Amino acid sequence: MEGIRYPKENTLYKKKEYTQIGQSKPRIDGVSKATGAGKYCGDLKFPNMLYGKMLTSPHAHAKILSIDTSAAEKIPGVIKVITHKDVPSLKYGISPARWDENVLCIDKVRFVGDKVAAVACVDEETCYKALKAIKVEYEVLPAVLNYRTAMNEDMPQIHDEYPRNINTEIHQLFGDVDKALEEAYHVRTDVFEGQRTYQCPIEPHSAISIWKDNKLTVYSSTQSVHYFQYYIAREFGLKMGDVRVIRPLVGGGFGGKLEPTGLEFNGAVLSKLTGRPVKMFYDRAEMFAHNRGRHQGHYEITTGVTKEGKILAAKANFVLDGGAYTSLGIATAYYAGGLLPLTYDFENYQFDLMRMYTNLPACGAQRGHGAPQPKYAFESHLDNVARDLGIDPIEIRKRNARQPNTNTCNGMGIQSCHLTEALEKIETITDWKAKKEKGLPKGRGIGMATGSFVTGAGYPIYRNDYPSSSCMVRVNEDGTSATLYANAIDIGQGSDTVLCQMTAEAMGYRYENMKIVTGDTETAPLDFGAYSSRQTAYCGWACKRAGEEIKAKILETAGFMMHLPPEDLECEEGIIFSKSRPKVEPITFEEAAKKYFIIKGPLVGTGVYTVPRLGGYHKGAPVATSPSYSFCTQAAEVQVDEETGEVDVIHAWDVHDAGQIINPALMKGQVHGAFGMGISETIMEEVVFNKDGKIINPDVGGYRIITALDMPDFTNDLIPSNDEPATPWGLKEIGEGSNNPTMGAVRNAIYDAIGVNVASLPLSYEKVWRAIKEKKEKEQAAK
Amino acid sequence: MYLPDFDYYVPASVAEACQLLAENIDCAKVISGGTDLLPKMKHGLLSPQILVSIKKIPGLRKIEYVQGKGVVIGAASTINDIVFSEVVQQKYPSVSNAAHTMAANQVRHSGTVGGNLVSAVPSADMPPILMALNATATIEGPNGQRQLPVEDVFCGPSKCLLEKSEIITEIIIPDQAMTGSTYFKFALRRAGALAVVGVAAAVQVENETIKDARVALGAVAPVPMRAKKTEEFLIGKKISDELLEEAGKIAAAECKPITDFRASEEYRRDLVRIYTKRALCKAIDQGHV
Ligand SMILES: Cc1cc2nc3c(=O)[nH]c(=O)nc-3n(C[C@H](O)[C@H](O)[C@H](O)COP(=O)(O)OP(=O)(O)OC[C@H]3O[C@@H](n4cnc5c(N)ncnc54)[C@H](O)[C@@H]3O)c2cc1C
Repeated sequence: MEGIRYPKENTLYKKKEYTQIGQSKPRIDGVSKATGAGKYCGDLKFPNMLYGKMLTSPHAHAKILSIDTSAAEKIPGVIKVITHKDVPSLKYGISPARWDENVLCIDKVRFVGDKVAAVACVDEETCYKALKAIKVEYEVLPAVLNYRTAMNEDMPQIHDEYPRNINTEIHQLFGDVDKALEEAYHVRTDVFEGQRTYQCPIEPHSAISIWKDNKLTVYSSTQSVHYFQYYIAREFGLKMGDVRVIRPLVGGGFGGKLEPTGLEFNGAVLSKLTGRPVKMFYDRAEMFAHNRGRHQGHYEITTGVTKEGKILAAKANFVLDGGAYTSLGIATAYYAGGLLPLTYDFENYQFDLMRMYTNLPACGAQRGHGAPQPKYAFESHLDNVARDLGIDPIEIRKRNARQPNTNTCNGMGIQSCHLTEALEKIETITDWKAKKEKGLPKGRGIGMATGSFVTGAGYPIYRNDYPSSSCMVRVNEDGTSATLYANAIDIGQGSDTVLCQMTAEAMGYRYENMKIVTGDTETAPLDFGAYSSRQTAYCGWACKRAGEEIKAKILETAGFMMHLPPEDLECEEGIIFSKSRPKVEPITFEEAAKKYFIIKGPLVGTGVYTVPRLGGYHKGAPVATSPSYSFCTQAAEVQVDEETGEVDVIHAWDVHDAGQIINPALMKGQVHGAFGMGISETIMEEVVFNKDGKIINPDVGGYRIITALDMPDFTNDLIPSNDEPATPWGLKEIGEGSNNPTMGAVRNAIYDAIGVNVASLPLSYEKVWRAIKEKKEKEQAAK
Repeated sequence: MYLPDFDYYVPASVAEACQLLAENIDCAKVISGGTDLLPKMKHGLLSPQILVSIKKIPGLRKIEYVQGKGVVIGAASTINDIVFSEVVQQKYPSVSNAAHTMAANQVRHSGTVGGNLVSAVPSADMPPILMALNATATIEGPNGQRQLPVEDVFCGPSKCLLEKSEIITEIIIPDQAMTGSTYFKFALRRAGALAVVGVAAAVQVENETIKDARVALGAVAPVPMRAKKTEEFLIGKKISDELLEEAGKIAAAECKPITDFRASEEYRRDLVRIYTKRALCKAIDQGHV
């Protein structure tokens, strides 16, 4: 058979390394994406398709007095105009206690960009004419734009149900913090400030809804077809089986495409009312207005330490700016403090948080969900503590580093953990000791930080008892290919590729012969999708199990064909051979698969994975639980221009404890990309509002993301391991932990360079300039 | 973000272009590379019904040295034409380098020098170095041709002293007595960022003394501005670190920056101080770089 490689000498019974995983196989979607042949949602067109757009609020906070659509309806080419009267009034959001968002606003708008009306027209241009012709009368209300004062008694109330604009309040206490702080040798408190950033994926959100014969089909650029299916069905009172959600190629999500938007809900209504497919999409400015990016926050950290720098107790007191709606922010809030006890081992921990409503766009989940800014605060604080005590920053981290097979004080169980080795390695590869002893040139500094993240959230995003992931593999009748059906969502991170590698490994097959069908609720079985860095581990388990089922079936058939017991057979890279009798002629996977089909019918394997119950019993215990955690250390060397404040990151290092690597090239892409995103958020990115709550930089010119030219030289290193029992092949997440340490590492490097603390993100050139200036002025005054 | 309808004309000569503009005086606009105009139209800031492209007019895209005139840059030359021009690289690498600080490669490929001047953005990257080298613009309209120093082209943010029926056809960098020139752009990332401060300096150095100096600043006033007090201060003085330091301070005092979301007034002023000093130093030491 063509393409099949028979071994000349039979060396197959020797123990081999993995053949499909651990290799940099080319991306399964690489060619179609690189050549532009691949189709994203915005590329799709259907016969008779209409274009839809939403009218949004120009005010941050206002009562809607009236909406007059009559003029818009008269414009030729306008097919339908809808307001809140035409859509379900059922609110949606992340959890029943926080369903606070309407498909279209009913009596009030709560941020500039809130959804007021929607139109469906024959073309895009007519949509804009129609939007202009809709007359909305508002009574402008005073707006809450500052999250720090949002809880004040005299502030206007944004949602009737939430007094003093408090969206979420968290108070967790583990151990005896007060006692530990009393007994501590040194207690220090620092305050840091984070900024609002936005995911800004390259592909804008879009959705095409087709409501026909009581069935609703939605094509959407989503991170989770299941979550969309569930929420869309719920909103319209449809059976889940009558809602089909399909994900064409997705050009990045970073957390911002995890929840359904007005595009899906309004598109569905417009399609139902017109009987035609309706395409809706955001342009770049509308994406910014919809937002759901990273929360900005105020982070107060206190620790009490021994003379040697061992942390006895930690206190985290945070306030987050949640924006006008909950979005996924309640999870963000719990993550903000929940993940802090991961990298360092301390017994006593207090975590208090307020997530505030403001009249600004809602914040949600962004890469590292809730963790990066608090981690920045903690890592900056820890460097301050080390300086107070005269301990080297790496040394203090070693003294507190999380060890394998331990539990955190807030109820998380860690099995595999190589943080100590990662600390040792970063010390070596950065030449840390020499740099610290000999000192660096003027304006040069080096800093580091640690990070960690969940390999999949321990609990699903909405309450249900479904398994976490499932999949199905069907081998083609003649055995020359196998198709994986899974609803794991490839948003660019490469899950389609690694899942095919893992399936092929488990089957004893070849990656090159794999096909994949993903992101379609009607053809592939349930998976909750791409968030919390869960896809490779969770769907990986399902793929491994489905693959192993196929392998068992095929070996049984091969046993018949080869007159050997199946237990004596093994299958690797599509070759089936006897383990004990090297002289027996091997047969191919293809031959056995074909025979199976002839005798038994379709050769199918299925796999399922359910996360075991994890975590403690306190309120909020589920968030931050995971079967497994990645760990990493990062260092950055910066050169600061002491006159202008310009920060140049010269080199950065990352040492990852990510378990078994499935695809080294994709791993590097993730670490590299996450570090780039991290550094961009550290130095440049910030969503800026004017005094009326309108974003003044809703475009990629004003909202600065680093370019390739700004990316420093980067060393990507690993602590190789495969001792994590909770994941398939001992892998760990790689997608989100990688930007967990970045902000702290860069901040610490800047401090090392110029000896000043810039306590708010982004660490912009101007802030660094100002800090240097103030330091000089102080020194002069002291003279 | 939707481009409104418009008619598109591609005249074959300057005269024809000017005539088209004159006939449609209130609704026509010149389009060159379109990198400034089209985004404005998409944002609904401008809605000309007629666009007159000058890209196909012969001669508007050449860069050459003309004896007695200087380096002549056709107004429709792209920014990358200037970056890669052998003539420019040979005579004034400082101009080629300044062009290279602009935007990113894609924009440099279509954006033109004429458009960079006429868009009259305070932070534009070409004006400061052209002003420092005393360049002039040749302007043609229905009533003939005139010359205007580049620094006199601007009269306010997005405003030029051009009639609606006029076009810039070329920019001329005259032969120089200046011995060195350079442009520093301070931006908040390495590509695709507008200048927070732009400083160009040209100097004529003889016997360790500054015989002549021109300093032009971008992004710190409603239009690109000459730092005339700084120039006056420098001329005739012996070069020293203190002199350049002081020059920086004078430039910082005479510029008129505003605070926006990119930078505060205070920061911009200090950057003018720092970069005036650095630009002078570089132009004195290294020639036209
Ligand atoms: C992403 C991006 C980044 C940018 N970054 C920078 C930057 O870093 N620095 C910078 O300086 N600029 C920048 N720009 C602005 C712009 O690209 C430049 O100003 C460019 O040189 C404009 O030239 P153009 O040919 O595209 O002008 P056009 O858009 O074609 O025209 C601009 C204006 O000039 C008029 N016009 C053009 N040519 C003539 C002429 N010969 N005679 C009379 N009127 C004329 C037009 O009518 C219009 O009003 C950027 C733009 C973009 C989109």
